[in-house]
Amino acid sequence: MVPENQRQNSQAVDAAQLGNLTRSQLKKLETKEKTAWQKTLEAITLALPVICGIVAILEYIILPNYSRNYNPYAYFYVMGAFIAAYIVYLTVGIIRKSKGNTSVYEKVHYRAPLFSALFLFFALYDYLTLKTGTLTQPFVPCMNFIINAFLKDYMMLLDCTLNTLKLLFIGYGIGVSLGLVTGISCGYSNKFRYWVDPIIKFLGPIPTSTWVPVTMVIASSLFGGAVFIIALGSWFAVTVASMTGISNVDKDFFEAARTLGATERQLVFRVAIPHAMPSILQGCTQAMSSSCVALMIAEMLGVKSGLGWYMTWQAGWASYDKMFAALFVICFIFTVVTKVLERVKRHVLRWQNGVEK
Amino acid sequence: MAENKVILTLENVSKSFAKVESDEVTHALDNVSVTMESGEFISLVGPSGCGKSTILRLVAGLIVPTLGKVTVNGEEIDGPSPNRGMVFQKPTLFPWLTVENNIAFSLNVQGKLKGNEDKVQRMIDIIGLEKFRNDYPGQLSGGMAQRVALVRSLINQPEILLLDEPLGALDAFTRMHMQDEILSIWSESKQLALMVTHDVDEAIYMGTRVLVMDANPGRIIADIKIDESYPRDRSSASFVEYRNDILNKLHFGGNKNK
Repeated sequence: MVPENQRQNSQAVDAAQLGNLTRSQLKKLETKEKTAWQKTLEAITLALPVICGIVAILEYIILPNYSRNYNPYAYFYVMGAFIAAYIVYLTVGIIRKSKGNTSVYEKVHYRAPLFSALFLFFALYDYLTLKTGTLTQPFVPCMNFIINAFLKDYMMLLDCTLNTLKLLFIGYGIGVSLGLVTGISCGYSNKFRYWVDPIIKFLGPIPTSTWVPVTMVIASSLFGGAVFIIALGSWFAVTVASMTGISNVDKDFFEAARTLGATERQLVFRVAIPHAMPSILQGCTQAMSSSCVALMIAEMLGVKSGLGWYMTWQAGWASYDKMFAALFVICFIFTVVTKVLERVKRHVLRWQNGVEK
Repeated sequence: MAENKVILTLENVSKSFAKVESDEVTHALDNVSVTMESGEFISLVGPSGCGKSTILRLVAGLIVPTLGKVTVNGEEIDGPSPNRGMVFQKPTLFPWLTVENNIAFSLNVQGKLKGNEDKVQRMIDIIGLEKFRNDYPGQLSGGMAQRVALVRSLINQPEILLLDEPLGALDAFTRMHMQDEILSIWSESKQLALMVTHDVDEAIYMGTRVLVMDANPGRIIADIKIDESYPRDRSSASFVEYRNDILNKLHFGGNKNK
């Protein structure tokens, strides 16, 4: 006897015409009908972030404060905004799903437990700081203070962010461009490698922070010195990665290209570099993380602007709420930068999709 | 479509390779002389180490002879040229280019792509991979990839087509199918084709001439003309006779225990 859901499926096949079956139809055909229990579980999972968000807000409103609070509505509104954002996200997912596109819905469903945990974390953090003082105020400021710090000082934070980004991208840009040039030349030409290899071997093992005192003495401007430190780190990472990438190119590709009429120059630009691209981009990602480290060290020790400087400066004034606010901005910037790099990498290396499985 | 007749000559060619990290030298080819011309399909067959691939790589211009001369129409070969297209055992398609761009690669690097897009289209039509033109090589099966590699070098309409065990890595059915495909392409263009193979049957099935080679040192021990029309019947009496003859010359015949 044919089970009910399979009979439904076979009807769906007739409707869909096996020949031009789409990916989502295929998936639908091959998955079993969800049981009532699974459906309930799914609904609970989707509702959980909202519930947890409300728990966090109630915790904040109902429990008595251990220490003094001010402008208490900031936290309330931010949490409300988070919950609203989630509801919008979920609604978009459900609307799209009803139109046959389940990708957003699946993402919401996948991330819902994580969002719930985040709301619970906020509640727990608030309980430990503002409500009980287990984490001593004002050294570990409660979330409401941090949000208020943002509101009070956002112009300054914005200014510092721009300075930080400027420094980061100038240093990173210079380092990566030079790294590509040296790395690719070294990978391809043994002569070039002969001269550059010792430099890499000599400079490579020195940690970036070691350069800070040296450059502070030598460099004419602190900004220039910071650019140098950041560039040096990314130069090294990119050089090594692209050198390895290029020298690992399969000899067969060169031979094939030569019999197809490629010149020496084309062998570099049309074969070696594209082949080494995964490795080169890996180097760029690595360079970014080393740049971020170098940037923060530079800003905390010398440069008189930027988020790193802001953090040390505010810590000096015991404004720990502002310090934490800057920390969140730094976190946010680095996350975005990493995400963007990841996107670029996925796009450039789209030919690898389905190959590395 | 090689309009001009091409004569390829190997004159007393020897090629030796130095071993890595030792002073020893292996002699891949020892005093080989042979002449071939347009319209021929030459199969090179023999055990590994007999220098069949070395001959191909010499003709391709990827390596230079230690002694002797390799000439095309009397001119010595100087480096690789799209006029002598080569298909390798591995498809060596560039994984970062789509099927279409792989096929167009050669025209592209020579700066001839503009105005020749129809050639790319024709190549795609020949191998019947229209559906896959925008796919990357990683998504192709072995047989499809090798077809793309074949037309990638055919797009230049090479005077000499070098096939270095192009079907070696394919399964038996795809292989037989592609033997016919290659033959039909060759019979249209009538260029000179040189194919290296391990497979005696394949050598006889495809070649107008079979050069039988032996190792230590690498040399040609027999030059057999296959006097049969295409398509050939693998089980005909004459086919079996050719096979036995070649196997005997390679000391694998039925009478080797005599």
